[in-house]
Amino acid sequence: MFILKNAWISIKRNKARNILIGIIILIIACACTITLAIKNTAGYLIDSYKNAYEKEVTISFNRANMMKNFDPSKIEGRENAKEKFDNIESYTISDVTSFADSEYITSYYYTYSIGLNGNNIIKAEINNDGFNHGKENNTDFNLTGYSNLDAMSEFINGTYTMSEITDNAWDIAFDGNYVFINEELANYNDLNLNDKIKLASEDGKTYEFEIIGIFKENEEDNQMTMFSNSANTLVTNANALISITKNNEEIKAIINPTFIVDSYDNVEKLQNEFYEKGLDENFVLQTNEEEANNAVSSIQNINSFSTTFLTLTLIIGGIVLLVINMINIRERKYEIGVLRTIGISKLKLTIQFVLELVIVAVIALMLGAVFGAVSSKNVSNSLLASEIKNSNEKVEEIGKNFGGPNMNRGQMKGKGMPVVEAYDSIDAVVDIKVILELLSIGITLVLISSIASMVSIERFSPLTILKERS
Amino acid sequence: MKKKKNEEIKEKNIILSIKNASYRYSDAEENDYALKNVSFDFESGKIYAIKGRSGSGKTTLLSLISGLERCSEGEIIFDGKSLNMMNLDKYRNSEIGIVFQSYNLLPFMTASENIILSMDINGLKIKNKKEKAIELMEKVGLKDIYADRKVLRLSGGEQQRVAIARSLSYNPKMIIADEPTGNLDKQTETEILEIFKKLAHEENKCVIIVTHSGNVCDSVDVIYDLKKSVNL
Repeated sequence: MFILKNAWISIKRNKARNILIGIIILIIACACTITLAIKNTAGYLIDSYKNAYEKEVTISFNRANMMKNFDPSKIEGRENAKEKFDNIESYTISDVTSFADSEYITSYYYTYSIGLNGNNIIKAEINNDGFNHGKENNTDFNLTGYSNLDAMSEFINGTYTMSEITDNAWDIAFDGNYVFINEELANYNDLNLNDKIKLASEDGKTYEFEIIGIFKENEEDNQMTMFSNSANTLVTNANALISITKNNEEIKAIINPTFIVDSYDNVEKLQNEFYEKGLDENFVLQTNEEEANNAVSSIQNINSFSTTFLTLTLIIGGIVLLVINMINIRERKYEIGVLRTIGISKLKLTIQFVLELVIVAVIALMLGAVFGAVSSKNVSNSLLASEIKNSNEKVEEIGKNFGGPNMNRGQMKGKGMPVVEAYDSIDAVVDIKVILELLSIGITLVLISSIASMVSIERFSPLTILKERS
Repeated sequence: MKKKKNEEIKEKNIILSIKNASYRYSDAEENDYALKNVSFDFESGKIYAIKGRSGSGKTTLLSLISGLERCSEGEIIFDGKSLNMMNLDKYRNSEIGIVFQSYNLLPFMTASENIILSMDINGLKIKNKKEKAIELMEKVGLKDIYADRKVLRLSGGEQQRVAIARSLSYNPKMIIADEPTGNLDKQTETEILEIFKKLAHEENKCVIIVTHSGNVCDSVDVIYDLKKSVNL
């Protein structure tokens, strides 16, 4: 108890020195609070972005494996490669369903593409170079069927934008023979919403679709062509196309599934599981991890900068405090000598000196936390505000791509849009975690700077001190 | 043999016994002793003077008997126990009181605070420490009005009285004083020496004064001349 009393007397006695120490700790605490708050905010944003990017796994060709024995200088090499390619066994929709039945997969979606010819419409094909822009199977039209909204990546990333849409389009889009057609194709064939188009397979079977939306492709002007690449692309739902191929095995379909996994760590296990379930070994699984990491790189830079700043502040602050403490000890050598002579133990004396610093540090840390909290609120909130703005703009843009305000962000979660909530109060930024971190930093600094007093008390001979004084 | 010696010490009322004590500084050469083979006995109820010329090792001897340093060779026995085996912090804050020529009070504290601090370090558990401090001050001839005065506002003699009061605060068996009157005038010196005599003769304390003052030597019961005792 008397140690505490002595410590308090000493603090009051050495006001100027303790105010100086207090100001230094306050500045350090302020800087630390701001940095920790920014780090926390950045961490929150990183988590938000990482959550925003669902962990996607897609199936793609293992090109490296394909090209392993390919020698382009030899005819046999080219023929071997072609034969190898032709022999790759593709996967069906039932394979995809089987693949998706895995403990590592939380959900999945896919696109299902087939080619059909026009029956009562003509493909848009007039262009300067005379090339045919119809796609797979050399048919007039490429029909892309999406399993759900998440699968409609061209609309999400803004390649396609809906220019006209029926009121109930999104209620019926995934169930029945409905299509969204390109604006250019609509103009070319004088088609409007709710018109019905007829398409035919190679063997002459016809299929009728109702137009529920017209979209346009957003691409840079291509001077060489009159129509955009997607002019003859018809967007529909996967079910409609699956029922066509079910009754007509001649129509070849291309399936592009996307699996949502719980962790990127399990992808290798998942790939082995796919192979066991019959996936050809010329296919491999690919993730969107890099894309997700790229999205958070700028925030991670802020995070790294904060860490560096925090480290520098602590090093410089620690050195300054250590030096002040050493000077303090030199000034108080006489006091140490007297106290040691009248029998105070080294331990108790060290505790008193550390206690003095702890009392000053705690007061300064509390003030620093308050000042830091006020300042960091602005810094963190401006950081958040720009992210919120970006996020909202992106949501709005995607909504527009899909044809209007009917789409909400909840439906679109997982497409690279962070769900950022605004911080309303200081507590949200400088929370208990920051306070605890600040406290541990403060205590560490105090202990480091107390090393000077500990060493000095251990080293000083009381008699020598008192003799010097005499 | 050792037991017999201890019994002898008790019979003679010896409180402190220095047995062939030698001291060499840690950075000194092998045979360069600051103090060599010193043997003295000190009894309770007597006042002693240790005299010697400058460099004779007075201060070294003081630091050894006050437990600020340990002997390089030999031993010091206090109240039947070797200082080598004792906690010297405890020894200094319980068994002995030390008084210095330059008083060594804490200048930022009042007279009573200096005395109370010493009680606190000792761990003395009494209800009203300030009352006890004032009582001790009165015992050494200081009025209670000095209790709340910062020590820097006191005269040299007054400060030395406070230092003596501080050394008595936990009722030690022995008082060790290093040139306690060196900075004081004759009149005050006499008064201070009277206090020491009272402590020795009336309160049965052992008082050891390190000095080269003839006046002090005239007032003590036993004089040890360090020069004569040192076997160089």
